[in-house]
Amino acid sequence: MEKNLQKVRKLPPCRAACSALVNVQAYVSLIQRGKFKEAVEVIRKDMPFPAICGRVCFSPCEDACARVNVDQAVAIRALKRLVADIEREQGRVKPEPVPKKYSEKVAIIGAGPAGLAAAYELAKLGYPVTVFERMAEPGGMMRYCIPDFRLEKFVVANEIAYIKDIGVEIKNGVEFGKDITLESLKNDGYKAIFIAIGTQLGMKLNVPGEELEGVVNAVDFLKALALGKPIKVGERVAVIGGGNTAIDAARTAKKLGAKEVIILYRRSREEMPALPHEVELAEKDGVKFYFLVAPKQIIGENGKVKAVECLKMRLGEPDESGRRRPIPISFSEHLYEVDMVIPALGQVAETSSLPPELLSKEKRGSPIPYDPQTLETNIPGVFVGGDLATGPASIIEAVGAGKRAAVSIHLYLTGQDLLKGRDENIEEVTWVKDWSPLGKKARRYDPPIEKPHLSFEEAVEYLEELKQKARFEAFRCLGCGPCAECLAGIDLCEGDKAVVDENKCVGCNVCAVVCPVGAVKKDEKGIARVNEDLCKGCGLCAARCPEQAITMKKLSNEQILALALATSKR
Amino acid sequence: MRVPYNVNVVRVMCVGRIDPALVLETFANGADGVMLAGCKPPDCHFVDGNLHAERAVKMLKKLLALAGLGAERVKLVWASPLEEKNLGDYAKDFSEEIWKLGNSPLKNPVLAPKIMANIDAAKNAASEFRLRVLLGREEELTEFLNAYGEKISKEEFDALLEEIVKAEFIRYKIHYLAKAKPLSVKELAEAVGIKPSAVLRHITNMRRKGLIALDKVEGNTPLYKALEVH
Repeated sequence: MEKNLQKVRKLPPCRAACSALVNVQAYVSLIQRGKFKEAVEVIRKDMPFPAICGRVCFSPCEDACARVNVDQAVAIRALKRLVADIEREQGRVKPEPVPKKYSEKVAIIGAGPAGLAAAYELAKLGYPVTVFERMAEPGGMMRYCIPDFRLEKFVVANEIAYIKDIGVEIKNGVEFGKDITLESLKNDGYKAIFIAIGTQLGMKLNVPGEELEGVVNAVDFLKALALGKPIKVGERVAVIGGGNTAIDAARTAKKLGAKEVIILYRRSREEMPALPHEVELAEKDGVKFYFLVAPKQIIGENGKVKAVECLKMRLGEPDESGRRRPIPISFSEHLYEVDMVIPALGQVAETSSLPPELLSKEKRGSPIPYDPQTLETNIPGVFVGGDLATGPASIIEAVGAGKRAAVSIHLYLTGQDLLKGRDENIEEVTWVKDWSPLGKKARRYDPPIEKPHLSFEEAVEYLEELKQKARFEAFRCLGCGPCAECLAGIDLCEGDKAVVDENKCVGCNVCAVVCPVGAVKKDEKGIARVNEDLCKGCGLCAARCPEQAITMKKLSNEQILALALATSKR
Repeated sequence: MRVPYNVNVVRVMCVGRIDPALVLETFANGADGVMLAGCKPPDCHFVDGNLHAERAVKMLKKLLALAGLGAERVKLVWASPLEEKNLGDYAKDFSEEIWKLGNSPLKNPVLAPKIMANIDAAKNAASEFRLRVLLGREEELTEFLNAYGEKISKEEFDALLEEIVKAEFIRYKIHYLAKAKPLSVKELAEAVGIKPSAVLRHITNMRRKGLIALDKVEGNTPLYKALEVH
């Protein structure tokens, strides 16, 4: 029988779900013990934006959290935000620039999350990295699209400062295709290039009346706000779309003084891609939602928007996105009287600035063909990733792409196979499988922390109370994976493993009974076997085994005794 | 964390890791007191390791009382990382309690041989298969059902545990005494402090288990000698 030689990396569900493989279990464990500073360090090992994702990540980790089967997922994002905010408030030690180990220069086009994450990883490896950014400030959509009430600009700046401090050079006001090209970068000595310019163009509605005054694409609307440009907001605003950008635009319009803001979405509430708590906040702000409607045309008077005519929709068979396709209902035209329409239908990439030799011949899919594993394009040394490659996604997915690009660039520049180490499969592992006894065993506390919508001031004021709440919340974590490897210097847990002496084992099964995570089980021969992927090294089996047939690899009974009896002390 | 100078701290991942036999070994080596600190229920990071420790300490106290060391020399405290009182405080309190109890009787040259025999017996009892199985399965038996679909009440279980702890202790005491030279039932009864008929019952059990064997008969009196415990 052929053995499957593919490497499998076993991770708890939270970490397996994160595009950047952030070590969730580790930093939650650290928070349990009040080690907030160490928790941030653990997060920063994997990604550079704890405060940003702590505010706006769509938290696939929470969706995967096994605790959801008991009561509710652990408030992982809230915990991340708290420790990041504590760090910012208490001040962090400015990191030293990482010494340059390599001389090959790397150019990154676009200072959004993908570009910055790639820069971060490469700088940590010791490469000289320059990020070229078109706008006046780095940050991409994080800085220029997400409104301040969701993600403060000073938070973004603070996170990016860390990346600059470790030695990444960011050149603002430089446009790819105009000020720099692939040619010019090569001539300037850059040996590898990562293009991550995202998707900057809002998609058009493609209905009559779109050119009327008062129709402003959501992306342009939010960017103007971020740039501090004066924006005229209508009295009655209709936002078309159901994603987070639509919500952001709608809430922004309301906060800027619109009397009435409505969101028109062509599917139903369940299919809305926006985060549920953002939808709730929009409703609290007074935004009204109309579902299963889509614009047919925008009606104007004297060149200005007067109303948007819509058709009612019904849901048919699922389309390629897996969601049910909206089908217009004939003769269902109706009007919404508005003086401003903000289409928020998604974004596409600006391909005009991209070198034609990179571009795809196909109309659909990524504008630049690339290998999904290595992110390389058809030009060696040129890589692409983030929203530009995949279409609009999320910050954390962009970070994941940036990390992937960094690995590829490092392999490329050191002359190695770009597929090296890439054949690893991630497998979710959790000991929490049978839920019925868990009701008794699960640690139960007060209801979890409210999803985080405390303003910065409130957070500062209640910081101590929050810290305590955070520790209780972190204790709700069931610790799905084995030793979380949060340490590297932190003396918190020894990452021990149990070992069964097969000659002594009599198969009484007590070890399996006492093991809290089901890591010890009898095999077909009736001998206890330890599943090292689940074993957390607690040692209960060793302590209870009636034949004393189980020992702990790292801390044996003899060692404990020796430590207990040690005569030489302080 | 600051502890008194006479306290040694050993960090383990879970307090449930501590084998009761190990605690007794510690006493055998001259410790005056042993404190186990675990996470307060229901905070156990390993679900119920702290409850296992609770059961182990319950048994340890019985054995220490039987051994003549005193049940108060072992203590289990719940030190929650979420509370004000920290491990150092608990260690200090315990240290003071032990000061009041005084030195372990093992340090008394007159009492030492008897106490050593007792601790040895206690250690062997704590390492004994059926006692360990009982401890390991207590939760299963009292909270869930046994193989016959019966649930054992806590009182029943505690009574059972008490009986078995005593029995094993006495057996290993007999074993210890009968190691040096073969002894008669009457001699053993005097040394251990129980009725000869009880001794005989134990010996019958121990013979079956291969712990003790008939050595020779002097006149009408059988003498028993302890066999090696592997």
